Amino acid sequence: MDLIASLTINGLATGMLIFLLAAGLTLIFGLMSVLNFAHGGLFIWGAYTGVWIYSMSESFFLAIITAIITGLVLGLITERLIIRPVYGNHIQQILITLGFMIVLQELIKVVFGPDIKAVNAPAWLAGNFQVGEITLIKYRLFIIAVGLLVFFTIYLILKKTRIGLIVRAGVMNREMVQTLGINIRFVFMAVFMVGAALAALSGILHAPYSGSIYAEMGLEFSILAFIVVVIGGMGSFTGSLFAALLVGLAQAYMAYYFPALSLAVNMLIMVVVLVFRPQGLFKVKG
Amino acid sequence: MVLILRNMTKSNLIYLGIAALLLFLPMIITGSTKFMITQIFVFAIFAMSYDLLLGYTGIISFGHAMFFGIGAYSTAIFMDHFDSSLIALFIAILVAVLFAALVSFIVGMLTLRLKTHFYAMLTLAFAGLFLVAAEKMRWLTRGNDGFTIKAPEILRDSTTIYIISLISLVLIFFGLRRLTNSPFGRVLVAIRENEHRTESLGYNVLHYKVLVTVISGVVASLAGVLYILSLRFVNTGVFGTDLTIDVLLMTIIGGVGTLVGPIIGAALIELAHDWISGLANVHWIFERWLILYGIVYILMVIFFPLGIVGTIREKFSGRKKSKNNAKQKAS
Repeated sequence: MDLIASLTINGLATGMLIFLLAAGLTLIFGLMSVLNFAHGGLFIWGAYTGVWIYSMSESFFLAIITAIITGLVLGLITERLIIRPVYGNHIQQILITLGFMIVLQELIKVVFGPDIKAVNAPAWLAGNFQVGEITLIKYRLFIIAVGLLVFFTIYLILKKTRIGLIVRAGVMNREMVQTLGINIRFVFMAVFMVGAALAALSGILHAPYSGSIYAEMGLEFSILAFIVVVIGGMGSFTGSLFAALLVGLAQAYMAYYFPALSLAVNMLIMVVVLVFRPQGLFKVKG
Repeated sequence: MVLILRNMTKSNLIYLGIAALLLFLPMIITGSTKFMITQIFVFAIFAMSYDLLLGYTGIISFGHAMFFGIGAYSTAIFMDHFDSSLIALFIAILVAVLFAALVSFIVGMLTLRLKTHFYAMLTLAFAGLFLVAAEKMRWLTRGNDGFTIKAPEILRDSTTIYIISLISLVLIFFGLRRLTNSPFGRVLVAIRENEHRTESLGYNVLHYKVLVTVISGVVASLAGVLYILSLRFVNTGVFGTDLTIDVLLMTIIGGVGTLVGPIIGAALIELAHDWISGLANVHWIFERWLILYGIVYILMVIFFPLGIVGTIREKFSGRKKSKNNAKQKAS
């Protein structure tokens, strides 16, 4: 019982981290058909700048704020310098974002050094709760709570506000929204920045969770996010949460029972989805 | 023979001439240069296989290294576990080709009916899977440390490998050139230019796309085989993202959709590797050469999407056209 609870919590926490990464990817794709292969780069930059501030100020809260700001700024730079020059050309877009991913990853090594850095959870999140015979690790519960908070906030923004309405309409039919006199590029830039901030947030939350950070983890982790985007349906926000939790749980259980197969099982889920529902589990209507 | 000669265009004769000159090069160059040129030949084959996807069909793969790795590991494992005879090598090549064809067929069938992004993502994920598998299956691959192999007796001489690589390059170059100039190749270009229209004209687009990824995967795996025969050492680096970035750069710098471009690109990138690793003692920034590659790559994609050969060709044909226009105006 303890084991199952622990693996489930673990899986949900991993799932939430993947969700934060995938949410931005899927909305960006839905709006402009841009698949940002540099998303993993934003993830590690969030992690490294956050950890840097964390080690200096000892405040994890400040670290999270730093990561989010890093994400917003890098998101703006990416959108302006990398994606904007090649709008409308899918092949160039895909090629260029991967190039930027590599630059971001190598810049980490130049700025922060190429070694693996150890990170510990802050004191107020270290340790665990004991409920009966089940041990609940505080930090993992914290990640799940943050993930849910982000999900519901964005969900409400998408459903209840005017800007959310524009974004949802843009995902369904970009041309129509433009025809109605809305500057979709501006909306897209805002969504891109928010997506980048979520990726950076995911990075800093992931750092104490895995205990260490290194430059290559961005690309490794973003592969999971791509798998999630395919399973959840490209452009579907809710889909990305469900798919991320599915992938996170599969990852956690397989890592315990068959460690060699943990990536393979997620690939298998993706392959099954691609064969039977290539549009993803949650297709965007429109 | 007469038929072959009649089909020889001027450019083909030039290419054959260069190849013939390269054939005599081992007489005057030393071991390390010979090894490097061999590497260029190998990567030129690899880059041409990539060009078939990116340049001719408009398919983006972010995991092309996996086919290279499949070729490399099949050869290395067969040479290591069985005797290093030519028969074992032959079986290894057969296994590499079949395995690469199978993998590219599966990935292609899964994603090529969807948008371009899916193939890019799925190949990235599959290459990641192969990398993890190669690192985890230590009993077979010995992980990241890798292992050295014995090549078959007659292939141990560096000049022999040089000549075999050169001949393979020439054969594959003319083979792919024939392929891309054939009706099949024309359909590929049509798919790149406008997939919906090609489909409306009655071509089964998926069929063509899957077939071209299979051909590309097989050629890439052959490059992997040659790589191992010349290096005689293998580690998980052959599945790495670096290698995919390398091949992307070679193709894009040289010029997509030209076949000659990737060969030039391969030469440039290999020379740059050599040059930059020499500079690592000068300043530590050169250890982070990938950053320079990334920046060059981004600038190429934005400003010279046609690459070296493509840009030159465009300039050249542009001048011809403007001359023709001038003539017409004059008359």
